[in-house]
Amino acid sequence: MKYSTVLAGALLATTVMSQAFAQEAGNVTVVLGEEPDLVEPCMATRSNIGRIVLQNISETLTELDVRGDEGLKPRLAVSWEMTDASTWRFHLREGVKFSDGSDFDAQDVKHSFDRAQSDQISCEISRYYEGIDITPTVIDPHTIDFTTDPAQPILPLLLSLLTIVPSETPIEFTREPVGTGPYILSDWQPGRQITLERRDDYWGDAPEVQTAKYVFRSDPAVAAAMVSTGEADIAPTISAMDATTDMDVAYPNSETTYLRIDSSVAPLDDKRVREALNIGIDRDAFIGTILAEGTQVATAINVPTTLGWNPDVKAFPYDPERARELLDEAKADGVPVDREILLVGRTGNFPGATETFEAIQSMLNDAGFNIKLQMVEVAEHEQYYSKPYVDGRGPILVGAQHDNSRGDPVFSMFFKYDSEGRQSGIADQKVDDLIAQATAATGEEREALWSELFAYLHDDVIADVLLFHMVGHARVGSRVAFTPTIATNSQLQLSEIGFR
Amino acid sequence: MKSMLGKRAVSSFVSLLVLIVLVFFLSRLTGDPAALYLPIDASEAMRENFREINGLNDPVLVQFGHYLSDLVRLDFGDSLRKARPAIDVVLEAFVWTLWLALITMVLVTVAAIVVGALAAFNVGRGFDRVASVFSLIGASAPDFWVAIVGIVLFSVTLGWLPTSGTGTIWHWILPVAVLFIRPFGLILQIVRGSMINALGSAYVKTARAKGVKNRPIIFVHTLRNAMLPVITVIGDQAAALLNGAVVVETIFGFPGVGKLMIDSILQRDFNVILAAIMVTALAIFVMNIVIDIAYALLDPRIRT
Amino acid sequence: MNDTDIDVNAPVKTAPRTGRAGTMLRLLWADKLAFGAAVFVIVIVLCATIGPAVLADAASGTNLRLRNAAPFSMEHGPLYILGGDALGRPLLARIIVAAQNTMMIAAGAVVASLLIGGFLGLVAGYVGRMTGEVIMRLADVIMSFPSLLLAVIVLYMLQASIANLILVLAITRIPVYLRTTRAEVLEVRERMFVKAAQVMGASSRRIVFRHILPVILPTLLTIATLDFAFVMLAESALSFLGIGIQAPEITWGLMVSQGRQYLTSAWWLAFWPGLVIVLTTMSLNLLSSWMRIALNPTQRWRLEIGGKSNG
Repeated sequence: MKYSTVLAGALLATTVMSQAFAQEAGNVTVVLGEEPDLVEPCMATRSNIGRIVLQNISETLTELDVRGDEGLKPRLAVSWEMTDASTWRFHLREGVKFSDGSDFDAQDVKHSFDRAQSDQISCEISRYYEGIDITPTVIDPHTIDFTTDPAQPILPLLLSLLTIVPSETPIEFTREPVGTGPYILSDWQPGRQITLERRDDYWGDAPEVQTAKYVFRSDPAVAAAMVSTGEADIAPTISAMDATTDMDVAYPNSETTYLRIDSSVAPLDDKRVREALNIGIDRDAFIGTILAEGTQVATAINVPTTLGWNPDVKAFPYDPERARELLDEAKADGVPVDREILLVGRTGNFPGATETFEAIQSMLNDAGFNIKLQMVEVAEHEQYYSKPYVDGRGPILVGAQHDNSRGDPVFSMFFKYDSEGRQSGIADQKVDDLIAQATAATGEEREALWSELFAYLHDDVIADVLLFHMVGHARVGSRVAFTPTIATNSQLQLSEIGFR
Repeated sequence: MKSMLGKRAVSSFVSLLVLIVLVFFLSRLTGDPAALYLPIDASEAMRENFREINGLNDPVLVQFGHYLSDLVRLDFGDSLRKARPAIDVVLEAFVWTLWLALITMVLVTVAAIVVGALAAFNVGRGFDRVASVFSLIGASAPDFWVAIVGIVLFSVTLGWLPTSGTGTIWHWILPVAVLFIRPFGLILQIVRGSMINALGSAYVKTARAKGVKNRPIIFVHTLRNAMLPVITVIGDQAAALLNGAVVVETIFGFPGVGKLMIDSILQRDFNVILAAIMVTALAIFVMNIVIDIAYALLDPRIRT
Repeated sequence: MNDTDIDVNAPVKTAPRTGRAGTMLRLLWADKLAFGAAVFVIVIVLCATIGPAVLADAASGTNLRLRNAAPFSMEHGPLYILGGDALGRPLLARIIVAAQNTMMIAAGAVVASLLIGGFLGLVAGYVGRMTGEVIMRLADVIMSFPSLLLAVIVLYMLQASIANLILVLAITRIPVYLRTTRAEVLEVRERMFVKAAQVMGASSRRIVFRHILPVILPTLLTIATLDFAFVMLAESALSFLGIGIQAPEITWGLMVSQGRQYLTSAWWLAFWPGLVIVLTTMSLNLLSSWMRIALNPTQRWRLEIGGKSNG
């Protein structure tokens, strides 16, 4: 009798379950790793917010094509041109309505920009306009000028990050975002789920997805399991260890893993030591073992699709013998190569982070270094990674990841390599000059300058230990069609999801 | 009873105040929230502005003064990251935790008392052994491990239960089951030990000697006398659950106060941390009073 | 958090007599389960003391070719009998080496909280009301202080080292001993033999340490054994949440927490260390139940007659 009760219970459970969790047509459920604190358009450059907001709720003037190679595409702007060396003119799309019913015009663009720049709220996207004096001027309802000082050759690219809100939006964080995008935020139950609903009066083509539900699971194994069981349709970031089914897709995620060298402290101030660090690591041994198949060895902080990426720069070979020789040479010159070097890694930075840093430690110690590994949580990691660095510190290597899917090195170079850069471990006049020149240059000149900088950093300065361009893994359920891109880390356009 | 309650309230209030002071100052020693809130390559000017807006630039004592004066008006401040009142954030999460704790503790209490008492009546026999060993194994396993194995087994392989989240009654089964295991093992052990003691005590022996053959009567009487230590442990376990079942909530994506707590701690969202501590402390205070009342009901000598 | 701060069955207590190691061994042998548990604990303690000296190199030598090597194969040597981990290190060697950190953390935290909590409890129970009241409120504060926050504070301001982790865990466990000790003292001090000692003019210190402490020590030791297990689990939960001990240090808890990523592809990474935790905790639980009886003269007959029951 007991047995039959259990059996009946199980059957009941199965039937109830399949009813309760079957997805309705037109609906998708996306499982993300972390819940956003806000659904605020001006914070859309933060990945957990951007995945929900960007191009779903709020749109931008321009949009970088991450699926093809069209470069910068029109979105809310239909075209743009330079009217003089420091002024860009944007022609705006007509007939666009916000989800609150108001019309989209140049005044909204100006307000969106001013709001993002306001010192009354800490909008994250404003950091991309830092150090540039930008003045938006409304010419007519569908034309707006941006005057910049100094000249800003990539302003249209920078504006692919500016989310447009109506001019009535107050300058404080909103929990009810209004945008021009194809979806509206229809429900938000903190800690549980966020629901987006398709709008009927969207200016563009109506996407296939009617309702999108976002849920949040910090454990990637659970996220992956949810797609397997049909509770969710897309898990954009699962762990490589779980990516073992035919539902799983690997994609380059634009993250670059590297060890930042603080080259102001001995023995890391010696170039031979930095070279020894580079050739003391067997990068190929990681790929297909600890890190997923498809991971690439990096020769630059930016991924190969970035402007100016230099194909002539060759990765350092693995040569522990030579590393020892270099260390011996340095030692003969009085460099304290025996000093303990602290390698700082961040727990859970990426799947397999701990194992990766443990293996690096053991390889470097085999090559004659004295490395001590310390894995820390995010706040502590930030202390080591960003300036101001602690006085009286010992030699430190910081294992970190950098993500730049925006196509231009300008978003990385200053922070990572300029003498004034917040995470820079070097102070090199030529690097500073090249960054300044390239930032102001356009076209082929810009590309050539970036190329020169990539090569100089890698071969001459040996600024850091570049490791890998990473791949991410997504699990996509059988009822939807979705291909992740290099930008999936920062945005997830529902209009790119179809049904099978 | 009334004066005891009053004393309890006063002393609990003092403890809470000390706690707030400690948490307020100590948590501010663990780094700059601006560094965590703003992107890693934000400039110093942006950071400065963020600190200014959020009053993090004032001397810590001044910040504390502001905090206290707001607190008196029942204003717990805003969450640094969520741009809404910290107390709203906390209460929202606390409701879930309260239910989770309540359901788990009711099930645990009933199950542990029944199984524990039966084990005590059958000391050394098969049932006793099996119950002891299983409760021990359960109580000894790391809960995150049990949780993930549970998901793999019951959700992915068998497909009986949803993996995680909330929504239907089925969603509660796995989290409650994982939370159930440890307190069950513990309380079971205590019920069993306490019952064995009570069974050996004078009045049960007397009752038996007088020829009371009715096992239910003996059972009820023994149980009543064995309950005092059990209630204390139940209270402690419930308090632990009210503080948030961090691991379980994290894995199952359960929107409770434990998950909120660990997130706010890692992000240095001070106001949320403080509000959460106050809400849970209040809940535990109320629960302790309930326990005192239960004590008094069970043991008339304590009634004053 | 405090699972164990009451004494379950302590109806009568007497001061212990000396020279009873032989009796204890005999009582242990009488309860076969407890005997097995004791043997297991001794093995673990041996691993913890000599393991790292012998196997440290084997446990840290990475070998990516043997990554996630399957268990139950002697092909790569006996150390790989339980398989290899994500960096191809032998799991058996790692478990043995990790025993040291795990035991050190658990023992350190338990001993520290037992000493501090016990001492404060004695003071709170025996010295005046006011002092006692203050100490009890202190215990309340510690109990409501979120242990995770404490861990983050200590490990951020100091450093994530074993000593600091012991500090965190010890602080969170102090109230358990404090409250139990105080409750026991309050009861014991009213007993006849204590009253007698007072009348005979013994000093407070003498009364507390000579007359009261021996009576409550068995209860405290029982709790400590249970707590040992609890602390091991708490340590693993901290590792799981990303605070607490981090690689390249190893503890069993950290091994389980790291291995859980491979649960679907290489179950043995998390299973073996998990099993060792379970077995150790169980052994300690069994020993503690046994101790509860063996140290209690009114219950001891249970062991002496049949030795079948363990409760």
